[in-house]
Amino acid sequence: MEYRLRLAKRMLFNKKGSLIGAVLAVTIGILVIHVNFVIFQGLFDAIVRDISNYRNGNVLITDEEDYIDKSDQALVSWFERIPYVEAATPRLSSSASINMTKFGTLHEKTRIPIVGVDPFRDIQASTVHETVTDGQYVFAKNSIVLGSNVARDLGGVEVGDSLKLKIVDRYGQDQIRRFVVTGIAQSPGGQGFDYSVVVHIDTLRDLMNRKGESGSIMVKLNDPTKANDVKNFFLAAFPNDDFIAETIEESAEEQLAGFRSGIAMINMIGYFGMMSSAFAIVTIQMMLVNGKTREIGVMRSIGATRKDILVIFIFQGMIIGAIGAGVGTAAGLGYTFYAKETKMSFNNSLPLEVSYNWEKIIQTAVLSFMLAIIASLYPSYRATKLLPVEAMRTV
Amino acid sequence: MVKALDDVSFSIEKGEFVLIVGSSGSGKSTLLNMIGLLDRPTNGKVFIDGTDTSNLSDNQISTFRNKKLGFIFQFSNLLTDLTVLENVLLPREIAGTTESAEKNARELLKAVGLENQINKRANKISGGQAQRAAIARGLINNPSIVLADEPTGNLDSVTSKIIVDLMKSMAKELNQTFIIVTHDQQHFGEADRVITIKDGKASEGNQPSELEVLV
Repeated sequence: MEYRLRLAKRMLFNKKGSLIGAVLAVTIGILVIHVNFVIFQGLFDAIVRDISNYRNGNVLITDEEDYIDKSDQALVSWFERIPYVEAATPRLSSSASINMTKFGTLHEKTRIPIVGVDPFRDIQASTVHETVTDGQYVFAKNSIVLGSNVARDLGGVEVGDSLKLKIVDRYGQDQIRRFVVTGIAQSPGGQGFDYSVVVHIDTLRDLMNRKGESGSIMVKLNDPTKANDVKNFFLAAFPNDDFIAETIEESAEEQLAGFRSGIAMINMIGYFGMMSSAFAIVTIQMMLVNGKTREIGVMRSIGATRKDILVIFIFQGMIIGAIGAGVGTAAGLGYTFYAKETKMSFNNSLPLEVSYNWEKIIQTAVLSFMLAIIASLYPSYRATKLLPVEAMRTV
Repeated sequence: MVKALDDVSFSIEKGEFVLIVGSSGSGKSTLLNMIGLLDRPTNGKVFIDGTDTSNLSDNQISTFRNKKLGFIFQFSNLLTDLTVLENVLLPREIAGTTESAEKNARELLKAVGLENQINKRANKISGGQAQRAAIARGLINNPSIVLADEPTGNLDSVTSKIIVDLMKSMAKELNQTFIIVTHDQQHFGEADRVITIKDGKASEGNQPSELEVLV
């Protein structure tokens, strides 16, 4: 083994306290990045996942004119011929006033968003039906599913209650219909229909006087990485229509933009944490240099050049960086594994969407390794500045 | 400004066993450090093997120290992180001439009576053994000059005699120049030359009696 590396290793390993301290500094720096990533990127991905699963699919088709007048049956069939597509379903949205009556007396009146779904297609393209924790989905045309928050705001609506819904149709006329509550929807994290009500799409079309029209087509893919391909196929297939096709990243951009910049800031804080661990390495290595002053003097006196001394202490930085990066990455992966396997969530909120971002994992490990080397530069430089005679006087 | 050495001028021939003596603080270690290129004179020059060392760069000085000079210090100054053998090998590894280095190191360690201690950590051997290892380290690169600064200063009288005898026999056997700084000339007995330093000035005599007069 190269003598400088051997010396660097021995000097470091014979000072176990310093070695452990320096390695811990690197480890903690990496762990902070991993924990940040698991929590905040996991939360972001969970929101994207839920928006995709409940609302927008992997590709969302809308129309510049607000409503799609092409047959939803035709569009869904077109999509389902593409191998990447698992299912597609039409949706229609509006807002409504709700009169909730109990035992014949008006109990509560409120205005809420309303979503019309094709229940049989919807359960294939979306998992929002799984959020109906009490009762069942809107399989009957006079049934309604209330979001848990709406049910609470209405004074504690329960399955089996009835309520009256008023919608203004396309001609400005009030359309009123009575529904029976068949289910209450509640999603962890509230990305489902917790603040809306859901009815059968045909019923909503009737109420809105928009027969055969849809607000959007939600497309679920079996391979989400093909979203852009599917989007482009679709736009190429319908060049003369005014369709808008968006991937989940595009359709949810407005909701996610703020969160994205929040993550960037958290990451930046993490990297600052990593930099502070570099300062810890500088301090520990300065102690190592001070502790080896006499040895440095001896080495210089028997012919070691300043460069040799520099290289020995940079090797120490590399050893600290390599061990720290290894231990830190292992600890980070352990935490990620734990978070993924336990479907980690906070206060029963939405479970984090934990993923192994190997590019980021490697980048963090390499960055911390490089930082450890950079941190060792100053102590190494100081070591080279020691004069042999003075250094050897040190006891 | 205090002058550690003033108007010191002498030359030493190859193979000479030279003692530099003087009381504590007289400047003898400073003189040795200048000969060993560990310190630079503010005025004057040190020539070694015909080379004016005052013109050498820091890297050249390091190479010069490594190849031409061998050092033996008062406190052996072995690196405690290395074994005895690794300590002896170190100057060769610094020089990058590792071919047959281990064989040479083992021979030297055998010559100084440490063949059974070679794999021990340097801090696990006695002071006398460490000093013998330091002598082996000082000789591994076959230097032109071996410089020893109070090599027996930290040893008991029995061990000191062993070390002195060893240095003398090595000097004779290898025909190497030894320059030894000591405050106790009696330990070393006869030397080819004795240079006395007093108040930074050097004077020279061949016999201890003359030195005594000078001092």
